[in-house]
Amino acid sequence: MTGLSVVDLHAAHGRSPVLHGIDLTVPDGALACVLGPSGCGKSTLLRVLAGFHPAAAGQVVLHGRVLDDGRGRLAAEQRGIGLVPQDGALFPHLSVAANIGFGLPRSQRRARVGELLDLVGLPGLGERRPHQLSGGQQQRVALARALAPRPRLLLLDEPFAALDAALRAELRREVAATLRQSGTTAVLVTHDQDEALSFADTIAVLRDGRIAQAGSPDELYHRPADAAVAAVLGEANLIPAEAKGVEALTALGALPLAGSAAGSAGALALLRPGQLRLTASPVAGAVPAKVLGSDFRGHDHRVELRPEAAGLPEVLIASADRPWPVGGEAYLAAVGPVHLLPGD
Amino acid sequence: MTTPLARRRWRAGGLLAPVAVAVVAVVAAPLGFVIAQAAQAGWDQTRRLLGRPLIATLLWHTLSLAAAVTLATAVLGFGAAYLVERTTLPGRRAWTVALALPLAVPEFVRGYSWVSLFRSVHGYWGAVLVMTCSLYPLVFLPVAAALRQGDAAAEEVSRSLGRGRLATLLRVTLPLTRPALAGGVLLVSLYLLGEYGAFAMLRYTTFATAVFTQYKLGFDAASASLLTLVLVGLALLLVALEAWAGRQARITRHGAVARPAVPVRLGGWAAPALAALAALVGVSLGVPLYALAYWLVKGSSTTLPSASVLGATLATLGYALGAALVATAAAVPVALYGWRRGTRPARAVERIAYLTRALPGIAVALAVVFFAVRWARPLYQQPPMLILGYVLLFFPLALTAVRAALAQVPPGVEEAARSLGTRPLAVLGRVTLPLVLPGLGAAVAMVGLTASTELTATLLLRPTGTQTLATQFWVYTSGLAYGAAAPYAALMVALSVPSVLLLTRRSLGSTP
Amino acid sequence: MPGTVRPLAGLSLLAACALALTACGSSGGGSASPEATGTALAGQTITVYSGQHEQTVKALTEDFTKRTGIKVELRSGDEAELANQILQEGDASPADVFYAENPPALTVLDDKGLLAKVAPDTLKSVPAADSSGNGDWVGVSARTSAFLAGTGKAADTAPPASVLDLAKPEWKGRLGIAPSETDFAPVVTQVLKAKGEDAAKQWLKGLKDNAKVYDSNENLSAAINSGEVEGGVIDHYYFYRMRDEKGAAETHATLHYFPKGDPGSLIDVSGAGVLKHGKHQAAAQAFLGYLASAPAQTVIANSASYEYPLVAGVQGKPELPALDGLGTVADPAALGDGKQALALLQDAGLLQ
Repeated sequence: MTGLSVVDLHAAHGRSPVLHGIDLTVPDGALACVLGPSGCGKSTLLRVLAGFHPAAAGQVVLHGRVLDDGRGRLAAEQRGIGLVPQDGALFPHLSVAANIGFGLPRSQRRARVGELLDLVGLPGLGERRPHQLSGGQQQRVALARALAPRPRLLLLDEPFAALDAALRAELRREVAATLRQSGTTAVLVTHDQDEALSFADTIAVLRDGRIAQAGSPDELYHRPADAAVAAVLGEANLIPAEAKGVEALTALGALPLAGSAAGSAGALALLRPGQLRLTASPVAGAVPAKVLGSDFRGHDHRVELRPEAAGLPEVLIASADRPWPVGGEAYLAAVGPVHLLPGD
Repeated sequence: MTTPLARRRWRAGGLLAPVAVAVVAVVAAPLGFVIAQAAQAGWDQTRRLLGRPLIATLLWHTLSLAAAVTLATAVLGFGAAYLVERTTLPGRRAWTVALALPLAVPEFVRGYSWVSLFRSVHGYWGAVLVMTCSLYPLVFLPVAAALRQGDAAAEEVSRSLGRGRLATLLRVTLPLTRPALAGGVLLVSLYLLGEYGAFAMLRYTTFATAVFTQYKLGFDAASASLLTLVLVGLALLLVALEAWAGRQARITRHGAVARPAVPVRLGGWAAPALAALAALVGVSLGVPLYALAYWLVKGSSTTLPSASVLGATLATLGYALGAALVATAAAVPVALYGWRRGTRPARAVERIAYLTRALPGIAVALAVVFFAVRWARPLYQQPPMLILGYVLLFFPLALTAVRAALAQVPPGVEEAARSLGTRPLAVLGRVTLPLVLPGLGAAVAMVGLTASTELTATLLLRPTGTQTLATQFWVYTSGLAYGAAAPYAALMVALSVPSVLLLTRRSLGSTP
Repeated sequence: MPGTVRPLAGLSLLAACALALTACGSSGGGSASPEATGTALAGQTITVYSGQHEQTVKALTEDFTKRTGIKVELRSGDEAELANQILQEGDASPADVFYAENPPALTVLDDKGLLAKVAPDTLKSVPAADSSGNGDWVGVSARTSAFLAGTGKAADTAPPASVLDLAKPEWKGRLGIAPSETDFAPVVTQVLKAKGEDAAKQWLKGLKDNAKVYDSNENLSAAINSGEVEGGVIDHYYFYRMRDEKGAAETHATLHYFPKGDPGSLIDVSGAGVLKHGKHQAAAQAFLGYLASAPAQTVIANSASYEYPLVAGVQGKPELPALDGLGTVADPAALGDGKQALALLQDAGLLQ
């Protein structure tokens, strides 16, 4: 059964249109992510879903119930859609327990609040005040508060943005696990591709008020519809290529094609940094390159190179398992299969 | 090398405290005067005075009036602020100004206009009506500012949790504006404790009436001071209540910038809401303006001695502005001290300053007379003493405004500036003061507004021969020449309008 | 401790403003002295605290300066507030003369030993009954209490024969009084003196049952004029001042005097005294002498204050009935400092 379905949704701020025909489907129980740079309209989309911003045209349907069709709309409090805002927005005048129990009928409060405190890993903190909690704890309470009334859909508005990196990743995993455990359908809005890739079952890339592409993280990462989508999801090397049968002919040699070749002349092959191998000495088909920089990122080293061969961009990014001396020589080889993008 | 380090710390932290304590000591001097005077009344006199059944009646009068007016101003002030800030009400900017304008009408003008136009307005309900109409802007302005600056996220979360608009209003919006509401309500209730003139006109007796009777008919400062101490006790109670209410709603915000709320669509409620606001403004602004216009047109003694009008206007402006600047300057260290140190003694020092607001004007003025004639004889009946009187009377107004402004300063900016190598005084000048500047403007406007219409202290403390608009108004009304008095009252109102405009702009910021 | 100026903290902040404000502050200052009359006192400046009708006192001080060359700093205010101010100032008071509206304010200062004896010549100019018995202050002008009734009302067609009648039940709901005014306490004192304490208490109790309480004589007059109450006890001049302001067409009230001998037919004196610690004793005495002189009394008689002059030979306003036909002068000693009347009013619940 379809959880959330958004059809040809338009919305505007005053006279300036912000969303131009959004189509989005989130299956029941799935975790979806709307990914896009700031100003792309993702917050407006979220607010239309939540009921705080009117749709100008189109339809928002949740579990078969029309929430907004551009003419009439259901009040926010009648939608059963939970919301976790960026900074948590805990009610500062209420205790943690009262925050979590806010949306519950009185009779259920005690039991359900305890359950949720356990679920978000904060047992025993019910009597604390929001200002006595750390940032991560506040976000967990905000999540518990939103989950308490068992919403049909949960909206998360960059909920991890204000947290430090380590905590962000940890909490992200926790929240995803919690949501899967409770079978909640959720839409996360973010500009952080790591967050999107690790959190969601489905990602929709939003650009200038339109969905540029929607699909699974794997699909979007490896088979983006265009160069811009490719870039939004992570570092991408785009190399001029020509499709020939099941291969793409590039300056780095002939590489096996992933899927069918869409392109003709002027196509681009997408090579993620992990698909570029570096060797210190020349190997067959490798192209010499100068090392411009090498940064340690924990799990790998990001190496910036200037290839010394025609038909390649000025700079390529490779992922290596050891640091490379800056200014030194390296040899670049590509590992297929590659995805072909249409040229401009 | 521990010595220089330790000394530096002491100096950086220690300078503010003595300044703040000194300011509060000056501001609290009238309290000391009242206590000293009261001590001259013997035990027997005390028992006779306070043991009268009348005292219980007056306490009841005072408290029941304070309760009703406080509640009414809270409801009206909050309701009006909500309509203006959070709904699709047509003409919201204009309404904001109109709703704040009653502040420009001096108390005695308001009292007289009601009494002269409506015979039935007197006694308890008359006092509730007139005081509510004149004092609700003290709640409206801070609450509107809080609503405008507040983040809408908490309210949206409440809606997403299934709470309707009304439930969200009551359970989230209202508690979040509680510090602003509590501050405004405190000013209203303290004002009610010390007010005399308007109640005399409305034929309603409160504790302050008894204080004035002791001064005016008994010439008995000791008894009057004794009764004043009861008022101070009540004020202490109110200040403690406000502190409690404020603490209950301590707000922490971090990171994200507040997003303004999406205005609530009024739909069919727009007409009743507009009618309600029009009624409120009409009653609180229309009645005194109508009475003023009536006097101007009808009074046969209306002649404009332009020289005296000009002199009185200049004197009024000069003193009001002087008092406003001094009061604001004095409020900065006190507010800063309470804000930087969250400690109990720091807050206590800050709150003592509020108590003087409950002192009747005559007690404060006589305190200045008492101190100045003994220890500042060359300055007695000189302009600085009148300004000092105004500052003592209206310091709490300045303090409230500066405090509200400081609350908007993100925590940590001062430390950030210090870490960039700026000395503490320079931090104050380059970071803190610029940040609170809008609030300082509000403080100046508020004190200037109130001081320009002050009468009792002006009569007692002005340099001999000086006339302000208020004293001229008094001269003519006490001679029954309302026509001649009207131009002075009209000028007082006109002079106050820019201050009110500044207040609405300053405390609400620019258009969202 | 003379000479030791211990500025309160914060005063230094004020100093700058002081400089800026003195310019538009006092009007006295450095203007050239008017034609001196040759007295040694010319050029001196005395400070007068006055609770009297400001416009009239201003006319008096200007005339005084013209005649003597003595300049006057006039400080007008509510007489009770000014008396309280002098009490707080004590011997440091800058005041040379206190010109009050009613005797009790002067009596209070007298009791505290703050008044100097008035020059005998000055005292001789006015009837002895109009000044304080011990010569501490001199009477300057007089007014009489009277009954103001709404024209055509029952109170007007059948005015009370005595102020004591106003406590009778037939006046219930028709009467207004202003007990917090300093003018009302003397009437209470007169009743007390004439009928004794118990009768006075009964009378006040009756008044409380019958009357609406107003905060000032001005508002009481206006209430009678507008028909809010039928009538009330008031000093005669409030009627004339109101008539001047409203015009005859808008005046709907008529003045009735209580018969001579009635406690309500009280003539109340407004007087002035010299402050003992004032630095210009001679000039202050000269001012009192002037107040009790024919020219000053003429100014008072012709002014808009509608008070009666006290010096023989000076006529009051033509529309005012002759003073000696109206009543008896209240004995300042009997009026005291008003505390007894105040206690009675408080006991009756008319005052708080």
